[in-house]
Amino acid sequence: MSTAAERAEQLALVARLRSSYPELPDAPTPDLLDHGRLTAYLKPVHDVGGEPDAPMTYENKQYEYWEHMTYVICEVLAWRGIWLSEERRRIGNVDVGRAVYLGLPYYGRWLLAVARVLVEKHHIGLTELSERMAEVTARYPDGLAGRTLEARPRSAGDGSGVTRNTHHLHAVGKGDPQVYAGQAGTPRFSVGDAVTVRELPVLFYTRTPEYTRGARGEIAAVAYESPAAEDETWDRPDAKPEWFYVVRFTLADLFDGYTGTGTDTLQTEIPEHWLEEASA
Amino acid sequence: MTHDHDHDHDRTVKPMVDEITDFEVLEIALRELCIEKGIFTAEEHRRFTEFAEQIGPTPAARLVARAWLDPDFKALALAEPMTASKEVGVDWMEPTGFGTPSDFTAFQILEDTADIHNVIVCALCSCYPRPILGNSPEWYRTPNYRRRLVRWPRQVLAEFGLYLSDDISVRVQDSNQKHRFMVMPMRPDGTDGWSEDQLAEIITRDCLIGVALPKPGVTTNAVTQTRPAIHPAGD
Repeated sequence: MSTAAERAEQLALVARLRSSYPELPDAPTPDLLDHGRLTAYLKPVHDVGGEPDAPMTYENKQYEYWEHMTYVICEVLAWRGIWLSEERRRIGNVDVGRAVYLGLPYYGRWLLAVARVLVEKHHIGLTELSERMAEVTARYPDGLAGRTLEARPRSAGDGSGVTRNTHHLHAVGKGDPQVYAGQAGTPRFSVGDAVTVRELPVLFYTRTPEYTRGARGEIAAVAYESPAAEDETWDRPDAKPEWFYVVRFTLADLFDGYTGTGTDTLQTEIPEHWLEEASA
Repeated sequence: MTHDHDHDHDRTVKPMVDEITDFEVLEIALRELCIEKGIFTAEEHRRFTEFAEQIGPTPAARLVARAWLDPDFKALALAEPMTASKEVGVDWMEPTGFGTPSDFTAFQILEDTADIHNVIVCALCSCYPRPILGNSPEWYRTPNYRRRLVRWPRQVLAEFGLYLSDDISVRVQDSNQKHRFMVMPMRPDGTDGWSEDQLAEIITRDCLIGVALPKPGVTTNAVTQTRPAIHPAGD
């Protein structure tokens, strides 16, 4: 049970959390928000490549049991057809918003994505989830005190009525992206072709990095066929596979003021609909 | 007075309790509900856990060591990396029949040459060739590494102790979609006559990411410091 003072303290803590431009008021009127800032707010938050940052000390941290179990539950849910990896990547890395994306531990976001997908797809109710969390907490009134965490399911469901995707059946024995092979026709580009990355509007999700958009590169490999991430991430049954390419960019072209050599390069994978022939 | 004494004692000496965290509670609650509803079985969860516990960088090191010694195997590793993976004990289709779902089943090995040094990153999340390299190190997942490697690769590599001269081009591979990548570094001088086992020992995980180069006598990663996890945090 919290006290009124504790509740006030937590509210004060939340109020200090800022993930917005300080020069703008909350919920600005449309005439206060320019295109650049609007694009920044709408940018899928996982797309951090090239954002300025200062060096930090890289270190490892002891892997916690719940972190390992979170990785496992995510993979088992994909194995059993509850979500595609592409749904997980969006729900845990983008839909969470900037404050949670940058504020929570890596596997904390994975775990929240599990709760989110199970609730959104009506596999579990939010009420029963919070009741179960309260019950689990009550089992350890004095902390772990040397005990190991243990899941104690009350029963084992037969699972026959659970709604599952078709992917977890179709991909068996083929793999992913191989399950989409032969569905995209002839690739539009060949190795060596000069291409420009289109500057398409971005709402909600993409895996085409912002730092490549508008840049000129060269096809380094015709990679595989797959639905574009923007469609696959909602598991659309009509998502049409397209060709993906490994595109090579000269880093000095990609980043203004690049400090390395003129022959340093970067490669990344981009689906066909994001590419167009570069003008000569 | 006894009561007062205890009370005071409680306030000044924290009991040694490993606090149960919010994430631990949520994970257990979700797992229990999934099993009760038949979303997955306890047996499936156990099978994947066992699979995940045995993955690590050992087969990747062996693959590179064998490629250094056997030109035919090297050609196979570069042309059909998933076939070559099987020869070092890694079947990319395991344990589900369509792989470890987050890692997909499209694998490519990037060969370093005298002119090109490869290094991998996933600027969008932390895509990493788990089946053959195990779980990624903590630093690989940080926004810091992901933000900076694509734009300032030479500076970031220098922070790992890897200084590249200007006649070597850096090639950053941002693995942002379904391909997974691993670096095949060049065999270093001073290893003539070495066995596959000896060579595998100096091919550390960091060499396979591309933030280090194999060197005789060096068998540990660049970042070795590991902080223990202590809860409650911040006390």
